[in-house]
Amino acid sequence: MLIQPPEAFVSGVLGNQIAEWGMITGNRKSVNKVVMLAESTADEWSDLLIRVGADQDREAYTRLFHHYAPLLKGFLMKGSNIRHEQAEELAQETMIKVWRRADSFNRQKSSASTWIYTIARNCRIDWIRREMRRQRNIHADDLYEPGEDNPSQVSLVQVRNKRIVRDSIDSLPQEQKEVISKIYFEGRTHSEVSEELSLPLGTVKSRIRLALKRLNVQLDADTEEV
Amino acid sequence: MQVSKHPDSDLLIDYAAGALGPALCVSISSHLHFCQDCRGKNSELTNLGGSFLESLEPAQLSTNALDEVLARLDEIEHEPQTLETAQKNLKTDEARLPNLVKKLIPDQGVKWQFLSPALRISRLVVGENRYELALHKIKAGGKAPDHGHNGLEITVVLQGSFSDEDGVYHEGDFLVRQPGDVHRPTASQNDSCICLSVSEAPIKLVGPIKRLLNPFFSVTPQ
Repeated sequence: MLIQPPEAFVSGVLGNQIAEWGMITGNRKSVNKVVMLAESTADEWSDLLIRVGADQDREAYTRLFHHYAPLLKGFLMKGSNIRHEQAEELAQETMIKVWRRADSFNRQKSSASTWIYTIARNCRIDWIRREMRRQRNIHADDLYEPGEDNPSQVSLVQVRNKRIVRDSIDSLPQEQKEVISKIYFEGRTHSEVSEELSLPLGTVKSRIRLALKRLNVQLDADTEEV
Repeated sequence: MQVSKHPDSDLLIDYAAGALGPALCVSISSHLHFCQDCRGKNSELTNLGGSFLESLEPAQLSTNALDEVLARLDEIEHEPQTLETAQKNLKTDEARLPNLVKKLIPDQGVKWQFLSPALRISRLVVGENRYELALHKIKAGGKAPDHGHNGLEITVVLQGSFSDEDGVYHEGDFLVRQPGDVHRPTASQNDSCICLSVSEAPIKLVGPIKRLLNPFFSVTPQ
């Protein structure tokens, strides 16, 4: 569900953050007007991150730490392939990177949670690859470098109501929760999940699709799938 | 030029969740470099990761975790060395490649190896066994030999364009070939074409000639 703000609010505060987002679906092109909001009042975390980036503000950092470090540990422990101590270590590593990179955080591009999520995700990838003792270790940060949108089409953050999202995850049927957890928390691909759970790939795909739909992630503009 | 061939959602999901190995990861990042629509989908899927992070049960940290971390903030500790694009010996056309691909090119520059009169290959090392990552270059107007695919192959057009029996592909297009597909790519007349390819490592190599051409191209007998 997109949060539609009052018109004046949009043009006044977030006027430059409305994008016309052309989506190609099959051969048809449809333009979806997607209103995306940066978190406004609620996002104290972004404010804190910006303070850390601009002034190396330790008080702000400490507050971020109290909020995010336990969440990061919880997130990493959700993956059954990561032990308790390793989750703690990775959570700390992530928080140290948060400190070092805070000046590159841009609230126009992502929320604090999403930004921190990508750092944790890449720490996890690097850790898994270290464990596998790959000959050439290329850091995940070097593999994820999607192009930059030019400023007039800045890809904007769609921020959901936190409570709704939480409810949605918890309210997913067990079988959907299981597959999406394996992918997001354990870093398994669709096909790995299919092998691990002895499910046909098509079943994994359709469970993911249903889960995304319930979590309100819109990937295909026009098509009603499954 | 509008990108018209896109990765399917499964791959984008695996990418945003951090599940893909390095070679596939590079192929998606390369496509995103050119494709605004998929960048939009990717931010949706990445935001979902952020929402998951916020909505999970927090786990208790060890009692001195904060102190340990605060103490480490002042250490002059460098970020792990990331790859540089600077000071590489790149030819004009190579210099226009997406940044993340350039980072993977050895410092001495791209070493093109002969595959056929019109086709060159240069492997990129990313430390992965399952998939192999390479650049292919087809000379302007050149035809690659007919070839079949032993395993899944993904091609992303990075520069120029090429065509085969099914159509014309431009920069950013993301093509998936299934095992057994046979096709004969031809570069457009006015420009050479550079593609990124990810191939499932072949299980077996047959015959001396195939051994030379594999893993990327097994010439099908005429």
